[in-house]
Amino acid sequence: MAYALTTGAQSEGNIEVHKYYNGSVIITAFLALFLQAFLHKYGRWSELVDLPLLVTIYFGVSRRNPVTGMFLGAVIGIAQDALSHDNPIGLFGIAKTLVGYLASSVGARIDTEHPASRFLLVFLFFHFHQIVFAIEQRVLLARPAPLFTLMLLRNSLVTAAFGVVLFALLDRLRRSS
Amino acid sequence: MIDFIFSRHRPLALLATAVLAQVLLLAFQIKREHDVRLIRYWADAVVTPFERGGTWSFSRVGGVWSGYIALRGTRAENARLRAEVDQLQLRNRQLESQAAEAQRLSELLNFREAHPEAPMLAAQVIGASADPSSHTIVVNRGERDRVRRDMAVITPSGIVGKVVEVFPNTSQVLLIDDKDSGVGALLAETRTHGVVKGSGDPDPRMDYVVNDEKIHAGEVILTSGEDRIFPKGLLIGSVSAAAPGNPFQTIHIQPAARLDRLEDVLILLSRQDLTPKKTDESAEVPAEASGVVQSVPAPSSTVAPAAAPTKSSAAPKTATHSPATPAAPPQPAPQP
Repeated sequence: MAYALTTGAQSEGNIEVHKYYNGSVIITAFLALFLQAFLHKYGRWSELVDLPLLVTIYFGVSRRNPVTGMFLGAVIGIAQDALSHDNPIGLFGIAKTLVGYLASSVGARIDTEHPASRFLLVFLFFHFHQIVFAIEQRVLLARPAPLFTLMLLRNSLVTAAFGVVLFALLDRLRRSS
Repeated sequence: MIDFIFSRHRPLALLATAVLAQVLLLAFQIKREHDVRLIRYWADAVVTPFERGGTWSFSRVGGVWSGYIALRGTRAENARLRAEVDQLQLRNRQLESQAAEAQRLSELLNFREAHPEAPMLAAQVIGASADPSSHTIVVNRGERDRVRRDMAVITPSGIVGKVVEVFPNTSQVLLIDDKDSGVGALLAETRTHGVVKGSGDPDPRMDYVVNDEKIHAGEVILTSGEDRIFPKGLLIGSVSAAAPGNPFQTIHIQPAARLDRLEDVLILLSRQDLTPKKTDESAEVPAEASGVVQSVPAPSSTVAPAAAPTKSSAAPKTATHSPATPAAPPQPAPQP
């Protein structure tokens, strides 16, 4: 099993842009939002994993198109804001818009098929997302929000580990070329 | 220039536009304190049916889990609990039996303490006669316990019988309802004497009472002391029925002691008469409670004999006694 982890513009031509079955992106994004909202009522353990963020990262990295990644992130983020009921619309939207854009940009330069690179990618994007989210709350809403805590570190590790498994499952939605 | 920037950095420009739009949206919501209800409404309308379905599915799965899968160990637990219930029921019966025994022993002890003047020995009924027509019991006291023939056997409720055979460790007691038994008795109200004998029936009878005597049901019958076995004044029972006969009345007696359910008895080691305790309480307690009756009020109703063909006197004698017999000085009582 050979995983490609190459960087640089020279290798862009070797990086494969994955296609997915029709509707799989929408259904996956919807399921992630639904499960995030639904499972929350069965316990706080669901807070350990940010499913919409994982879906944003996965499709951003896989599609490798910054515009579609950005829009997917924006839609998922705004929907997450809408379902959160206590956030003004746009808080998650902005954060996930940026994550989607960056994930697509990174995915266009780095081939991230290896579980370790996926783990690292999710871990970093989780904290980037959290930092953006915290800045938004501090600047726009004047709410105190931590940039980093041990609980966030724990959540990021759990989300990254879960992301490795989830990405392997989502790989099965790819259309064979 | 702008065209160049947008064509060269089109994704970045779109990103900036998207972020700016959302910032403006946020600012609009914050500044005007105006919620974007339409987006929330749409999101809620889309997700709510699925959440309902998910909740229903979870409850069904939870029901299947708790109703079937989680009950895997229920059979074993049920068997264990049933065994535990059986053990507890058995234990409960043992405790009830012990409580009843304690009650009986307490009554015996109270009786003994109420009559310190008469030496007596507590004994446990350990057997009965193998002959169905013979009303005898076996107690766990014998020669080694100073038990002798013809000693009286009583309970706090009333007399039981007399010792007829003594073995080293056990004794055989002839009950008062045995056909070979005879106890000197007197009617408590009229002080009429007679003999209580077993008849072969469940209830003993009182013989030698002339037909002229007015006997009523419920009248108390006491020992007269003339048989030189039972001290005078002990409760034998009460009249259950009386009818004229030839030459004497036929008087059926209900024994005061439950002769068919004896478990613990007292053996009187001497013929010392028993006197009731001279306390305020004893004045209020019915005489039967102590097993010793000294005086009885006049009868309120009588069962008169229908006819009195003969006026023969009772065989032993018919007399009226003084209510109480003075108690003799207490004798040293052997310890059980």
